[in-house]
Amino acid sequence: MKSLLKFIVAAVLLSSIAFMLGSYQTDVYRKVLLWVTLALSYNFLFGIAGQVAFSHFTFYGIGAYAIVILIFQVGLPLPLAILAGIAICVVLALVVAIPATRLDGFYLALATLAFAQLFIVVLDAGGKVTGSAGGLANYRLPDLFGIKVNGPWYTVVIVLLMLTTLATLWRLDRSYFGRACRAVRDDAEAAEAMGVNVVRTKIIAYTVTSAMAGIAGMVYAFVDNAVNPPIFGLENSFILLFMVIVGGSGRHAGAIIGAVLLYFIPLLLSPIIGHHHALVYGVFMVAVVLFQPKGLIGIWDWLKLRMKLRSRA
Amino acid sequence: MNDFLELIVGATASGCVYALVALSYLLITRPTGIINFAVGEWAMLGAFGGFLVLSRAGLPYPVSMVLILAGMFLIGWATERLTVRPLVERGAPALAPILALLGMLVVFREIISVTVGPDPQPVPPAFGFGRLELGLVAGSYQSFFIITVTAVVFASVWYFFERTLAGKSFEAVAIDRRAASLMGINLRRVTALAFAASAAVAGLAGVLVAPNVAASYLMGVPLAIQGFTALVIGGVGRVEGALLGGMILAFVEQFTVRYAPIPPGLVQGVPLVLLILFLLVRPTGLLKAKT
Repeated sequence: MKSLLKFIVAAVLLSSIAFMLGSYQTDVYRKVLLWVTLALSYNFLFGIAGQVAFSHFTFYGIGAYAIVILIFQVGLPLPLAILAGIAICVVLALVVAIPATRLDGFYLALATLAFAQLFIVVLDAGGKVTGSAGGLANYRLPDLFGIKVNGPWYTVVIVLLMLTTLATLWRLDRSYFGRACRAVRDDAEAAEAMGVNVVRTKIIAYTVTSAMAGIAGMVYAFVDNAVNPPIFGLENSFILLFMVIVGGSGRHAGAIIGAVLLYFIPLLLSPIIGHHHALVYGVFMVAVVLFQPKGLIGIWDWLKLRMKLRSRA
Repeated sequence: MNDFLELIVGATASGCVYALVALSYLLITRPTGIINFAVGEWAMLGAFGGFLVLSRAGLPYPVSMVLILAGMFLIGWATERLTVRPLVERGAPALAPILALLGMLVVFREIISVTVGPDPQPVPPAFGFGRLELGLVAGSYQSFFIITVTAVVFASVWYFFERTLAGKSFEAVAIDRRAASLMGINLRRVTALAFAASAAVAGLAGVLVAPNVAASYLMGVPLAIQGFTALVIGGVGRVEGALLGGMILAFVEQFTVRYAPIPPGLVQGVPLVLLILFLLVRPTGLLKAKT
């Protein structure tokens, strides 16, 4: 009950921001919310379940392309297209996860990296279905049960998407499944001995988080009303990884901090250093891994601990 | 027939480049277990080294080669010293150095993009752009040069591992780190040398391939992917595996471009499918590690 109240308060607060913004600010706000959503689910996959996968942003792209193709080329109504889109993401995630989770360590990273590249190749060679290199554009979100969702109200949809993702992952993390994921990450053999089904845990973690990325992608498809291969390039999966590590992997708050920070770095720094913000990303990433392995959230924990000790003394 | 033989020479040459990148991965992975995605960026740095000393400064080829390899050796050594050793000594999780090196991948690439700029830069081949015909077999000078250099590199690496004491100590570390350390092998020195040699090999691959593709700050990631595809095909355990994997990858690539009845856009996907298949069916690669 208390958490439901929190959810509603957060939803109202974040949504009310949407009605105060100009068109450029709205665009920035929507993108930040989407990056936070992606970072949250990637944090579960990488930080909590311990799978180094580079396919997360690819599922974002699969979701976006799927919904556009299903509505405007197959001709499905919106609710059906959403369900079918989720089904596509789940099936593809299973196709990748069932064989790939048998591989450990960096082999999973390699397999998902190849999968991510393959997605771009297929998009480029997809002819009319995917629109090839130019992608698909000039479509509009159809009415949902006769209601037109646009302007700030679409931003509210994104707010709800982000909060629902957070709430779902929060609950998942505190369930048997979340603890099983952490156990598998820390020591798969010990987890197996304790009765955790390691393979099933890995596959479910991969499929659930990938489907979440796919849903975020469906929402994204109507933010810019255009999808094309460069948007879903491999770079973004690296950025997602950096966001989670810089913020603090395995922590929801860390993922949020990392996503917001790394999203704004290029915006804030571009007047000073132009398009070289990627260099800042890289240096940041190396510095965090070397000097602050728990991420920025680790600094916060340390401060909190010090305050506590001081107040006791 | 001539066309076919020329295709073989070209495929062998690009297979050699993949093999060198795969060897660069292997030199680090074998003794340390670390997979270094930044090898592609090292190759890119080598290519830009070639642009600086060959195209800009106009130094003769052999002198340039020595300068580039020495520079890459230093870069590899410094990378290990600054980003890997502190983590290993602190007892950080095995993933930490891999992540730090991923960060370095971005750092290397962006340093070049900031200093040299985003435009591709020319790098001259070793003996000009001529064409060599040996009876039926024909190809560019650079193709034959690449094949010769790669043969020499692999022969010397093989000799190093099989016939010298230092090479045996690498092998010992690969088989059992703790036992090797107890036998008095200096793990730090082996790791530092592995990184330095890996960077030199990757840089060499970069200089060799640069005349065909021009040096560009974006050339690293594709090379890195081709290199580890070759590595996965051949097997992470053996030096010969890198060579075999590189050749198989290049031949499959070139022959599908030429003969397969699939749309040209999808040809790029062939090596990726090959990689996924090998990971699923035979993740240990074709050649097994010696025990």
